[in-house]
Order: sequence, then structure tokens, then C-alpha cells
Amino acid sequence: MNQGGNTQTVTPLDPNNPIEKRYGVEGSQVQTSPYQYSTGSDGTTHRVDNQVNGNYYHPQPPVSATGNVQETPNTTASSSTSGTVNMAQDYSGYTPYQTPSDPQNYANTGYSNYYSGYQQQQPSQSYPQPVGAYQNTGAPYSSFQNPGSYAGTASYSGTYYNPADYQTTGGYQSTTYNSQTAGGYPSTNYSNQTPTSNQGNYTSNPYQIYTPDAANIHSSTAAITPPVHYQHNYQQWPGYYSQTEVPCAPGTEKLPATSAYSQSFPVSGVVANEIPASNGQPAPSYAQPWRQETDSTQPPSQQPAAEVSASNDAYWMHQTPNQQAYYPVPPQNHYQSPLETKPSYEIPIQGHQRATYPQELKSQSSFHQTPLTYRQPTQTTPSVDTQRVSKIQIPTNPRIASNLPSGYTKMDKGRSPAGAIQTPAYVSVSVSNPKGHTTAMPEPGTFPKSLCGFVERAFARCKDDREKASCQAALKKIITEATNDGTINTRDWDTEPLSTVLNTDVINTEPSSAPISSLQNKSPARRPKSRWEPFVESKPFVKPASNFTSGVKFGGWNHQNENNKKSSESFQKVDAVTGSKPTYSAQNSAKKSFQRPVKRQRFSGGPATTIDDDTSSDSEKDLTPYYSSATSLASSADEKKRRDTRSKRFEKVQGHSRGNDIPKPKISNVRRGTAMRLGQDFDESGSRAVEDMDWDALTVKGTCQEIEKRYLRLTSAPDPSTVRPEDVLEKALLMVQDSPKNYLYKCDQLKSIRQDLTVQRIHNHLTAKVYETHARFALEAGDLTEYNQCLSQLKILYAEGIEGCTLEFAAYSLLYITLHSNNNRELLSSMSRLSKEAKKDEAVKHALSVRAAVTSGNYVMFFRLYKTAPNMNSCLMDLYVEKMRYKAVTFMSRSCRPTIPVSYVAQVLGFAGTSSEGTGEKETDGMEECSEWLKAHGASLVADSNGDMLLDTKASSTSLFMPEPEDAVAHGDRYLDVNDFFTRT
Amino acid sequence: MAYVSMGEAHRRITEYLNRFCGAVSYQDSPMLCRLLSFSSNSPSLLSLADALNVFQDASSLIRQSDKFSEYGEILAHLFRSLQSYRVGNLVEAYLAFENFANAFVQEFRNWESAWALEALYVVCYEIRILAEKADKELTSNGKSPEKLKAAGSLLMKVFGVLADPYLVFFFLKLYGKGPKRVGALYVTCQLFKTYFKLGTVNLCRSVIRSIETARIFDYEEFPRRDKVTYMYYTGRLEVFNENFPAADTKLSYALQHCNPKRERNIRMILKYLIPVKLSLGIIPKDELLQKYNLHEYMNVVQALRKGDLRLLRHALQEHEDRFLRSGVYLVLEKLELQVYQRLMKKIYIIQKLSDPARAHQLKLEVIAKALRWLEIDMDLDEVECIMTILIYKNLVKGYLAHKSKVVVLSKQDPFPKLNGKPVGS
Repeated sequence: MNQGGNTQTVTPLDPNNPIEKRYGVEGSQVQTSPYQYSTGSDGTTHRVDNQVNGNYYHPQPPVSATGNVQETPNTTASSSTSGTVNMAQDYSGYTPYQTPSDPQNYANTGYSNYYSGYQQQQPSQSYPQPVGAYQNTGAPYSSFQNPGSYAGTASYSGTYYNPADYQTTGGYQSTTYNSQTAGGYPSTNYSNQTPTSNQGNYTSNPYQIYTPDAANIHSSTAAITPPVHYQHNYQQWPGYYSQTEVPCAPGTEKLPATSAYSQSFPVSGVVANEIPASNGQPAPSYAQPWRQETDSTQPPSQQPAAEVSASNDAYWMHQTPNQQAYYPVPPQNHYQSPLETKPSYEIPIQGHQRATYPQELKSQSSFHQTPLTYRQPTQTTPSVDTQRVSKIQIPTNPRIASNLPSGYTKMDKGRSPAGAIQTPAYVSVSVSNPKGHTTAMPEPGTFPKSLCGFVERAFARCKDDREKASCQAALKKIITEATNDGTINTRDWDTEPLSTVLNTDVINTEPSSAPISSLQNKSPARRPKSRWEPFVESKPFVKPASNFTSGVKFGGWNHQNENNKKSSESFQKVDAVTGSKPTYSAQNSAKKSFQRPVKRQRFSGGPATTIDDDTSSDSEKDLTPYYSSATSLASSADEKKRRDTRSKRFEKVQGHSRGNDIPKPKISNVRRGTAMRLGQDFDESGSRAVEDMDWDALTVKGTCQEIEKRYLRLTSAPDPSTVRPEDVLEKALLMVQDSPKNYLYKCDQLKSIRQDLTVQRIHNHLTAKVYETHARFALEAGDLTEYNQCLSQLKILYAEGIEGCTLEFAAYSLLYITLHSNNNRELLSSMSRLSKEAKKDEAVKHALSVRAAVTSGNYVMFFRLYKTAPNMNSCLMDLYVEKMRYKAVTFMSRSCRPTIPVSYVAQVLGFAGTSSEGTGEKETDGMEECSEWLKAHGASLVADSNGDMLLDTKASSTSLFMPEPEDAVAHGDRYLDVNDFFTRT
Repeated sequence: MAYVSMGEAHRRITEYLNRFCGAVSYQDSPMLCRLLSFSSNSPSLLSLADALNVFQDASSLIRQSDKFSEYGEILAHLFRSLQSYRVGNLVEAYLAFENFANAFVQEFRNWESAWALEALYVVCYEIRILAEKADKELTSNGKSPEKLKAAGSLLMKVFGVLADPYLVFFFLKLYGKGPKRVGALYVTCQLFKTYFKLGTVNLCRSVIRSIETARIFDYEEFPRRDKVTYMYYTGRLEVFNENFPAADTKLSYALQHCNPKRERNIRMILKYLIPVKLSLGIIPKDELLQKYNLHEYMNVVQALRKGDLRLLRHALQEHEDRFLRSGVYLVLEKLELQVYQRLMKKIYIIQKLSDPARAHQLKLEVIAKALRWLEIDMDLDEVECIMTILIYKNLVKGYLAHKSKVVVLSKQDPFPKLNGKPVGS
């Protein structure tokens, strides 16, 4: 309730302060969330993101997730009017987005439109007040749907849903093939076969509606047709549930009319969600919501809904026949990805009768996807009080729910026979379910619907009679326990993990039930969390359940959201399915690829999934635009082709990523497992996975024995056969040191040595030696950029405690700062970092005095130091000589009068010294050089009576200039020969 | 840590929550400040921390009431931070406090008036202090200290909130002035402190630019306290840049407006102002140095007065570490030229006494001899070099006759005084 209050307060503020609105939204609601989260690609994608974020991410923290979902409902329910306004706005905003997205919109996004339209219509017809609620919910839904539609295309949706698909497929398999109970699914769908006309309406309407971009149009026009679509989609699922539902129906009647509406909506949403989830357990959980809806809606006299449902039923029927035939295969297709699913569906459908079918199919698939997102609401609802449920549910899917409930009732009636008739294989299933009901619960009517759903789910999981028997026993136990302690009506059967029943059958039942009950016992305020809580608590169960392909489903969902482990379970299920049928396996693989984008966490378990984990959410983001764009393409004739190519492309991409990840899976799995045990949240596990990356395992061990190797910047993972091991590198270093070749060659060789060291992560004296050598060569050649690179590496190495010529390089860096960076602060800090011992070092002392000479401008001192420089200090000073000389000559010509002999200048400014070997002969060389230099710099020289050159200071003082460096070259590196430059490039 | 019963813990936490919500709803800024200032180590906060350690589920307490849960995020982070702080886990405390600060700033942004500005100051201050402490802890554990950096970016964010031109404009419209923006300078000063500590003073530039160029800021509008701090730091920056006249004005402003009772602050300002003034040729009185305990400058000043190069070098060597750390080493080193000037002046005066006619001719030999008396060994080339520099920098008027090795001084004002102008201009 608190949450609800918050949201309400937020909404009023919206008009006043946009900023506040945003914030409020973030905290609480799905509605606003779209705005905030919009990643940017398309309107549709935005929505998807939002929802995805809201649903998936938020959920993980049990409280927050549920809070989000619940909040929206509350607001809508309580303040329908105000809420509606906002919602409506949102909605409209969304719709436009969808429309632009084009052809596929019909198939994929179209659904969302349908939803919206649907919502509006229903409200207008039957329920004026509810409308607001509808719209509100509608907005989120539309977004959801979009994801669904995109799911195929968009990475998020795809991934997200895919998991669901997996689960669902697993569920199907178990139901249809393994256990008869599952059969209910197909049978229900088929049973509602009647109206083809509905389909016709749908097809025509949706297109018309969608083509116009205006949101209003969508809502109004769409309203008529869209509902049908929804219904269809739902109906399939309902059908699935219907068998179980019928018995359970009585429980839901309590709700008031309005609440009922809301409930119904959420339910629908829930249904959709659960359906995907149903892999493991979904069917039961959904069944409950549905039942409630039907009850609630019908009593209020929501005939429109009923009608819709009827139409839906008809719709269903159409679909069902087709699907029945396919069924084993199609579900998987659906789940894999919208893109892929469409083709598969279309074929069967077309064969049946209608072009329209494909759309329907698509819609169905989209629904499947959507349901996943919504699951949370449903799960929570059962546990929560009826009122709460109503509120909560509202957000989920009002429209759907309304349609569905009515449809359900009808469905229920017709289904069992129809299903039996149409599909023999399924018939058996349908039969089994009733049996299970009877056995487990002699009086299904007295039990809450959710419980019925639970039981049904449980039976659906059973593969053979033996399992069924054990399951039955376990169920009995649980139910009697629940009845005894009075929790049977309060317990959240939808969330109750099947694993308890199925898994260990007898063994696990008790433990599993215990945690659940505890959850249920919690205060109402906390209930929203309950959904999540079960997961946490049930973890221990989950693991055992994993052995059971079918049992885990419920947990699987939660876990996926919260934990990685569950995903593995779901995968296992899938695998089992694949084993049974080859067709599935292919699909599975496809699914995996799609799933990748979704979230690593889920997938951590399975072998295929591990790969996904590595890429993690980042990949999702990267891929989303990609996918979304793909989805937005036209759905027309070319569409199929495009999709095929596209899907292939995706697979390629996926495969590629896998290839990179190859080494990781094992490790990550182990880590995951531990992480799971700790039960930490999403982010933590994610970050940990990255941090724990075992770099040692990835480190290359070189095998190359060649001493000489050209440097090539790596563009891919290093190949061990081209990497030299340490001993070879040592030889290579010696070779380079003794090489008579030029600097370019040495630089190239040293770079390749450095690369090999880096790749093998060698950090020792050899590394330091290589960098030192390279730095010296660079200094010698005046290559300051390379020198800087080496120096920064050396600093790191020295900081690690690796020994080297620390002081020598300290002197270099000191000199470099003084002479080249001219940054006082840096100079100060590097000076203050020198230790007492360092200051006693010859080279450092020299560097310090050079610094003093430079800062005071003492050129005499500078050139004396220049001549006595130890190590390579003179190389660094070389680069400053020109400046210093120029400075000195300016000083002199300004201060001295009337003349200065050039010989003196040459001596003081180190000209004589440069050619060294200071004999008299050389000094004249120095003098000539000096006079050349002076002339080049604009000094005016005169000869005195003796023929000695004199610097005319007065004339020079105004004529001195710094000439352009003569050796400047166009390619910027005068040490690089032009020919070398060209060969390099 | 005294044992606290569950009930007592509950009572303390509830009391704190009540006070917090009360402070917010009554816009009682002083109270809020008190509730937030960790570093004050006030007994009430400490006892609350103890209570939190006993009563682990404080968040449920927050959630119990609408009143509390409105600030649930803020309070939850604050509690966690306080808890870790009390236990001595400073890194954890910092992280939680950073979350708290984020939430608080968000809330502050939404408050229409600037009543909580003081509280925001406290938050800014505390996060910096906590970050410094956390970094200390990190370094002692052998990890790289990075929290102060994080605090810096958070402070930058706060600055952005306060200086947000749209927000400021909004308030201008509403109230005719921008009460929140006056807080920007305080945050700026905290940023300065952070950056100076981190050694990333170049980051100050963007903040300074927005303070000094943005029209939304009226400098006079800021509180004096912040203005002084701001001038102090910008003055220091000018010292680094060796822009002495600018540094002089800024630091002098800080000195003039500084609270005269805060001797520590005055001393900090003088630490930079004295070298700046010295390099402008203005020599402080000894009493000043004594009063503010600036003994490290005594010998420097003395050397300048006497032209005693050796003394200057010794003084620099003696306090090298300190001068290097405070960043005035290079400034003081440049005083050498003035010392040379003083020395030459002394020689000139002595020569004048003995032989006024030729006093304006200073032989390099004589100067070298004088330096030798100061135990500084220089040959004629070097002395000549120094002389050219002195003449070039206009510390000595005259010219150097290279052939005769004599400095010929101008007959008029051979040693011009700097009088507040930097050397070399």
C-alpha cells in the first residue's frame, strides 16, 4: 500500500516538474519507466527495454521487483481517473512508436497495438471506470508486447523470452510426450476451434489499425479486432489451463466487480507470462489466475469480455487444429524467436486455411514472450489477498484477462471433449489431468484455483506412471498439510515450487513445502515479495530438482531472474526434450543463440549458456539495436527470406562469440555455483564473474623458437606458435642489443619482444630489462614518444618491486620533466619523491644540477654539465641544447657590450665540446660551427683587426631569431627515413 | 562499546528517525547538520551507531512508517554508513555514505528552497573526510587509494546541481535570486581541497572557469568564508604558475578577509604569500614571521637582506622537503637572483666608500672573490653568466664589458627595486 501511495504522489507531480516525475517513475512504476530507460533505438525498443528492466532486473531484488509491479496496479486501481490520464498519455506515446516500426509491427509489434486497442475498447464498452486502469496497464503491456514482438528481433526480448521458451517447450514435451497431463495444453487450444470469422477480423483489422500511426486510431479501431487477437493468444494458453481451471473456479468469486476487472487484466498478463514459464510449472500457476478472472469477471456481468472470449475460442479452434499437428515442433519455434517461429507457424496454418493465421501465430508467440515478463504479478497475486491481487493484477494485463476469463469458462466446457476428439495424443493427456485432480483433490471445487494449478503442474511434469504415483503421494501430503495448518487458501500455490513434489517426490516434498509456507505466513505487507522469496528459500530444492527436467520450472523462473542456477535447470529440460526429438535440438540451439542477449545469469547453468554469461548484459545492449532494427523490417513477402538470412546471421554472431569464450565455461560454471549458494543478487554475481576471470588460464604459453620477429599489432587472440617463450626472448634481447642495425630495426624488434612479454604476462627483471633497453635506444635516437611509453611501463614495474636501473631512470624522468614538460608542479612532486639515497646518486645529482641550471638560466653551468653527463643524460639534454644556446645568446647580446668573441661563445655554449677530443684543432671546428649557428640565428658577426670573429651584441640584440628547425620532415619523425616511412605504411 | 539492549537500540533508532524527519519537515537545518556530521563524533551519533549494530534490521523500522520510508533510501544508506564507521570499516562506511550523499543530493535538488544548504555542506565535508580516511585504510591494506577520487567526482556532481543554470534560472524566477547557487562556492572549495590532495589540480580549472565566467554567479553574493577559501586556493594555483602578481592579489584578499582569530588559516595563507611577496621584492618583518611561526622563512629573508647566497642555499636545503611539498621551492630558489643583486649592491657600496670615482665599475674578479668568501666557488665564466642574467632581467642596470671582465653599472639607480613587480619584467 505504501508503494501505491508513493506512486500516486508521484503522478500528480508530473505536470509540475518533469524531473520529479522521472525520479518517481524510476522508483516505482512500469508506466513511467519507459521514459527513463529509453535506450534510444526505437520507440518500440524503448518500451522493451523499460519493461525488461522493470520486470527482470527489478524483480531480482525481491522487494523492489514486486514493488514495481504492484505499485502500478495500486495506483491504477485506487485512483483510476488520475492514473488513467497519465497512463493514457503514456499509452499514446507508445503507440506512435510502434506504428512507425512498420511491417513487422503487425506481426510482432502489432500485438502491442492490439493490446492497447483492446484495452480501450473493453473499458468503454463494459466498464467505464476500469478504462483508466486498463489504459494504465495497457501502456505497460503494450511495451511488453513490443518486447514480445521484438523478442525475436530485439536481443532483450529474444533472450528473455527464449528462456521462457525453453521452459515452455520443456513443459510441452513433458506434458504431451512424457506425461499425459500436459496434454491439456494442446487439447484446450484445439477445443476452441469454432469461429474462423474471428480470424478474418483480426487479420484485416490489425493491419488497418496499425498502418495509421495515430495512437488514438489504434486504440479505437484496434479495440475491436485486437481483442480477438489477444483472446486467441490467451485462449491457447487458457486452453492449456482450462482443464484444471474448471474445478478450481469457485475460489475467485469473492472479488468486487472493479477489482475483478483489474484482476482479470493482470491475470491475462499473468497468463501470458506464465505460459512461457509454464515449462516447468507455469500451467498450474496460470490456471489459477485465469480462474479467478473468470469468476470475477463473470459475476460482474462482463459479457463483452465473454463475447470476446467466445470469439477467442473460435479463434482458438482454428489455431488449435493446426497447432495440434505441429505442436511438438511449433512451440519451440515460437519460443526460439519471433522470426523463426513465424515461418514454422505459417506453414502449418496456411495449410489449414488462412493467410491470417501467420499473424495470429505471431501474436501468440509474442504473447508467450510477454507472459514471461509479467509473471511476477501472477505469482504474487495468488498469495496476496484478493483485493491486493486485484490491484496487483491490474497492471499486468487487463485486457487479456477480461477476454480470457470468459473464454475460459467456455473453453473449459468445450475443451475436454474437443481436445480429445481432435488430438488423440492429447486426449490422453487431458484425461490424465482430471484423474490427477480427482485423486489428489477429491473436491477440486473447494480448493483455491492456484492449488489446482499447482497440482496440474505437478502432474504435467510426471513422465510415467511411477512418477505420477509418487507425485500424487507428495501432493496429497502437501495438501493435507496445508489444509491442516490452514494455509491451503493463503498459500501461494502459483509460486510453490514443483520441485518439492516432483523432484524427490517423497523426499523433497516436505522441505519444499516448509519454506513456502513460511513465506506465506509473512505479513501481508510483505507478500508482494513472496514470489521471490520462494526462490531464495527453495534454492536447495531447486538443485535437486535440476535432476528432474520437469520439476524445477517454477523455481527456474525465479532463479533465472534472481539466480543463474535455475537457468541451467531449464536448459536441462530443454536438453531432455531435444533428446527425445531431433527437431527440438536444432531449435534449442537456435534459441540459445537468441537467448544470449537476454542475460547471462540465467544461463549460467547449461553448457550453452555459459558462453552467454561471459558476454553478459553488455552484449545485450550492443545487440539490441541490431536486433531491433532487424525486427522492424517489413513483414511482407520478402520478410521470410530476410528473416531467414537474418536469423542465420544471428547464429553466426553467436557462434563467433562462443568461439571467443571457449576457455571460460568450466570456470564460470563453478564460480556460478558457489555464487548461487551464497545467494547474492544479480549485480554481485555479474561483477564477480568478471573479477574472477582466471587470467592465468587465458595466458598464452609461447612455443616459437625464432629469435627475430617483426612487430605486428595483434588484432586477435595471440597464437602460441608465434609467441616466443621467455628464454628465447632473452636471446632476442641480447641480439637486439648487439645488433649493428639502425634504430628502426631495433625498435621493431623490441616492440615485438614487449608484445610477447605482455601476452605471456611476464613481469620480471627481463621485462624491466627490455623496457630499459628500449628506453635507452629511444633516447639515443631522440624518440621521445617511445621513450615515454617505456618509462611509464618502467614506473609500473619498479613500483611492483622489480629491480632495475631505478636511479638512472629517475634521473631521466627528472631531466625529462625539467627540459621538456615544463610543468612546475610535476617537477616539484618528482623532486619531493626522491629519496635521500637517490639524491646521492651520480646521475640524479647531475639531473638535479641540470635542473638548477635551467631554472636559473645558467648556461655556463648547463653546458658544463652537458659535457659531463653520465649515462644517457646528455641525450635528453641534447634536445634542450638549442633552446639553451638561444637563450644564452640573447642574454649575452643584451647584457654585454660592445662585442664578444665567437670563440668565447663557442666555448661557453659547448660548441667546441660537441666534437670532443678537445685539441686546438677541434676548437676551431667548434668556432666554425658556432659562427654558423650564430649566423643562422640572426646574430651579426664582425671581424676584428686580428681576423677573429666577434659577436656584435648591440646589433644582434634586436636581430636574433629562432630559425625553423631545418630537419623537420613532413611525416613528423625526422629519424624515420622517408622510404622507411613509406614501407611502413 | 557498551552493551545496548534491543529495546534501547530500538528507541534510539526511532528517536533518530523522528528527529531526522522532523528536521526535514520543519526545515531545521542546524538539526539536520548535527544529525549528519559523522566527524563530530557526537555522543548521540555514536550511541546511535551502537544501537544500529545491535539492532540489525533498521531498514524494517524505516519501512514501518510512511514518514520514515519517504526518506527510506537516504536513511538506510546513512545507517549502514554509520554502522560501518562505528566498527571502523571506513571503506564500507565511505561507500554507504556515497550512496547516501547521492540520495540526499537528489532530494535536495527537489527541495524548493535552499534551507538545507548547510546540511549539504556537511555532507560534502563529511564525504571528503571519510574518503580521506578510507584511503588511508586502503593504503594500509596495500590497496590503491581511490575513494578520494570518487569523492571528487561526487562533489563535482553536487557542484553541477548547485550551478545548474536551469535550476538557478528557475529560482531566479521564483525568488528573485538563486539561494542554492551560493552553495556552489563551498562545494568548489571542497573540490579544491580534494584536488590538491590528489595532486590533480588541473581539474580545478573547469570549476574556476564556471565560477568566474558564468553570469549566474555574483561573486559578492557568496559567503565570505567561502570567498576566502576560494581565493586561497586560486592563489596557490597562481603560485604554481609563477604568476606572482595574480597570486599576490588573491592571497592578499584572503589574508585581509580571513577571520583574524583563525591563526592557523592566516598562517596557511602567509605560507604562500610570503614567498610571493619576496619574489616581488617585498620583505616581511621578522615579527610577522615570528607571530605566525613561520621560522622556515627566517633565513630566507635574512639572506635576501644581507645578500648572503650561502644562507639562502642552506635555508633551502634545510627545509627542502617542506618547501617541495608546499610547492614554494622553485619560487624561493628564484630568489637567488635577488640575492646576487643584493651582493652586488653591497660591493658597489663598499667600493663607493673607498673609491667613489670608479665605484660603478665592478670587476668580475671582485665578485668571484666575494662569492668565495661565502664559500661558493665560481669561475669567471660563471660569474659573467650570472651578471648577464642579472642585467638581462633588469636587476642590474648597466652592461658587461667582456674583454675587460668588468660590469659597468649605470650611474643612475644601478640596482632598481622591484617594488611589487616580478623579476624580469
